[in-house]
Amino acid sequence: MNDYLNLLIGLAMGLNLLALGTSRLPVLIRAVGAQGVLLGLVPLVLEAHELDWRLVLITLATVAGKGFLIPGLLHRAMRTANIARELEPYIAYIPSLLLGAGATIAAVALARHLPLLPEHAGTLHVPGAIALILTGFILLIGRTKAISQVCGYLILENGIYLAGLLLIRSTPILVEFGILLDVTVGIFVIGIIVDRIQRAFDSLDTRKLTALHE
Amino acid sequence: MTSALLGAAALALVLACALGARPRLWLGLNSLGTLSGLGAAASVLTGGRGWALKSALSLGGENVFLALDALSALFLTLVCLTGGLGALYASEYWPDDHFPGSAPRGRSWWSALVLSMGLVLTCANGLHFLFAWEAFALSAYFLITLDRERSEVRRAGWLYLAASHAGTMALFAFFSALAAGVGTWDLGPLRDRPDLAPLFWLALMGFGVKAGMFPLHIWLPSAHAGSPSHVSAIMSGVAVKMGVYGIVRFSGWLPVPDGAGWTVLGIGCASALVGIVFAMAQNDIKRLLAYCTVENVGIILIGLGLALLAAAHGHPVWGQVALAGSLLHVFNHCLFKSLLFFGAGSVLHATGTRDMSRLGGLWRTMPWTAALFAMGAVAVSGLPPLNGFVSEWAIYQGLLKAVAQKGETFGVLPAVIVLAGTGALALGAFAKASAIVFLGAPRGKTSGHAAECGPAMRAAMLVPAALMLCVGLMPGYFLNMVQACIAAWTPQWAASAPPIPARAIGGAHTALACALVAAAVFALRKVRAGGIRRGPTWDCGYAAPTAHMQYTGGSFAGIVTGWFRWALRPDRRIRRVRGYFPESALALERVPETVLEKGVGPAARVVMLLADAARGLQHGRLHLYILYVFLGVTALGMLVFQGGM
Repeated sequence: MNDYLNLLIGLAMGLNLLALGTSRLPVLIRAVGAQGVLLGLVPLVLEAHELDWRLVLITLATVAGKGFLIPGLLHRAMRTANIARELEPYIAYIPSLLLGAGATIAAVALARHLPLLPEHAGTLHVPGAIALILTGFILLIGRTKAISQVCGYLILENGIYLAGLLLIRSTPILVEFGILLDVTVGIFVIGIIVDRIQRAFDSLDTRKLTALHE
Repeated sequence: MTSALLGAAALALVLACALGARPRLWLGLNSLGTLSGLGAAASVLTGGRGWALKSALSLGGENVFLALDALSALFLTLVCLTGGLGALYASEYWPDDHFPGSAPRGRSWWSALVLSMGLVLTCANGLHFLFAWEAFALSAYFLITLDRERSEVRRAGWLYLAASHAGTMALFAFFSALAAGVGTWDLGPLRDRPDLAPLFWLALMGFGVKAGMFPLHIWLPSAHAGSPSHVSAIMSGVAVKMGVYGIVRFSGWLPVPDGAGWTVLGIGCASALVGIVFAMAQNDIKRLLAYCTVENVGIILIGLGLALLAAAHGHPVWGQVALAGSLLHVFNHCLFKSLLFFGAGSVLHATGTRDMSRLGGLWRTMPWTAALFAMGAVAVSGLPPLNGFVSEWAIYQGLLKAVAQKGETFGVLPAVIVLAGTGALALGAFAKASAIVFLGAPRGKTSGHAAECGPAMRAAMLVPAALMLCVGLMPGYFLNMVQACIAAWTPQWAASAPPIPARAIGGAHTALACALVAAAVFALRKVRAGGIRRGPTWDCGYAAPTAHMQYTGGSFAGIVTGWFRWALRPDRRIRRVRGYFPESALALERVPETVLEKGVGPAARVVMLLADAARGLQHGRLHLYILYVFLGVTALGMLVFQGGM
């Protein structure tokens, strides 16, 4: 069971690096979607010994939401806004990659020192969650286009979801569902806003939005 | 009886607030309200029994608890007196036909101010006290900025508001700490809780700002000078006293820390001296009066500090005399300062200027104002036979007895010297004010065609003048009235101390007053018999004297301001007379608000620089905001991690 878990999370962590290293928005969105699918499968692996129809339903919903619905919405927003590349990031791609790699190593190192339950200690579960959160932050801080920032936010949310799965036995997965619903609504809204920003400012560069401050 | 009167007063004032647009109705309601309040205060003061009302009505989670004892009744007298007289004065001084916009607004805020000050005095719940205090501060702000088209007035208003809120902050801390320590917001005597003693410093700070004690007086001169004169009168005569009330009230109810007496005494001495020296140096008549307020608050604090010392060392005899002097001076200062501000307002009304160097010779055209202002000047200088002498005499008695004790309290000797010096300087300052404004020849066109004020303004000046004479001639009656307040301040003293001997001073005053009247009648007859010969004033042997040859305010005060140049730090520009046929010469001198401009101002600029630097953190870039959040969360995580290890 741990092998499958480590495989899934390890792949997700690899996708982090892809997300950090690419300048093409479709690749970024696909990476986030793929990460959503991988992480959506994690509950199945974790609870493999007592599968029931409810868990399967939840898994299917998560995969559909994280892997297809949200990326689809983002694709649409991207097409409406008519951009395909993030050209002027605050943190360039190679430094982002290096930071991401550093964050991954730091996450693994940090997880060793955390007081974890024995069943969580041997896996990539906790380091993976931390690495995802850190990657999300790097994307949020380092990118200027609204769509890349949304992707960073999604990766951050994936990390929080993964950390939440540690508590799968004590927290109803319904709570996670609520969060997912919020995120979906948020993406809807952002999709609309992106469209409007594009029309009003002829650009999706969030740096140009500072003129509104105060 | 008291409940009914207070209820009527509150109702009338609330209606007056709402009906500010109708001048006559407002004046009637405001007068009714203040008269009922005065009746209630008088019944508590003379009957000696306090009044309290505990209601089941809850406001902000606290039950309404109102109380009026002798001490708050004394201050309520001031509120109602000046609140009523000022309204009468304003009806002529700030009329609708000249100020169509601000006159109705001013009337509503006036009643709001009177009402909120009344509530400050009657609220016996810390939370409601703060509500009332805030309402009082705000309505005073709107009155100060009544003439808000002028930028100096707006600046004065802002300064007042900022200073007032700095004080209120200390009061919030004070009342919260008090409520936390006691377990209830209800206020009352807590003399057996020595752990609450340090709170006195907070109270001194918070109330001290409102009281205008040095060096927290920075807001006072500009606020008093810029506002309409009836507002200056109530600010100086009453609003400032609310601060004094707070200090007196809570130094009586709560135990005070060691050194409180010496501190209050020291602050009092500093305020008295600094206040009068600055008053001496002013050229603006209302600013002079404002600084004189600082001086008088200083005198009040000297008396209070002495009483605190006496309480700490167990000397009820002179402590009681000093406190009686202090409280009576609160009352007296309200009377003569209202009179003086009304007088200054009358001059301003007639001539349109407050600048003394452009006035002069007004006694011919404004005899009533001149005579009443001179009477106020005599009282404020502490000369017999008026009221100022009575209260200062009582404070002197206290000080001298404290010195004569030869114990630890021998150290109050410098206060005697300061008080004496202050009296002398006050005489100088008011000789200057009266002489420059009313005597001599007119210095500019403005004072040439001035006219005497009308009956309403004159009546508003005559009432305090009559009361001043009453206090001067019957000091025993008023000292006895104040004795009830002392019992409210500390009950032990009421039993142990003998009544204050005041018969001698009353007799002397009556004799002096009779002699003065007789001399005046004699002189008048002599003049009438000999015929009146008018000549130019300040002739001084010149063949053709002009108004420019007169003493100016600056030259009159020159020697004294020279002594205190180190404190006043005047800005001066002089172009001396050169050669045998000098073409031009110039002497300009301006005394700044030294504490504000040389002390608080630079400190505030440093704070502004830091704040501007910190504003760079708020730039509108989302990425960096996320970075802040990330750093914050990481720091918190580290903290938790460290704690967990």
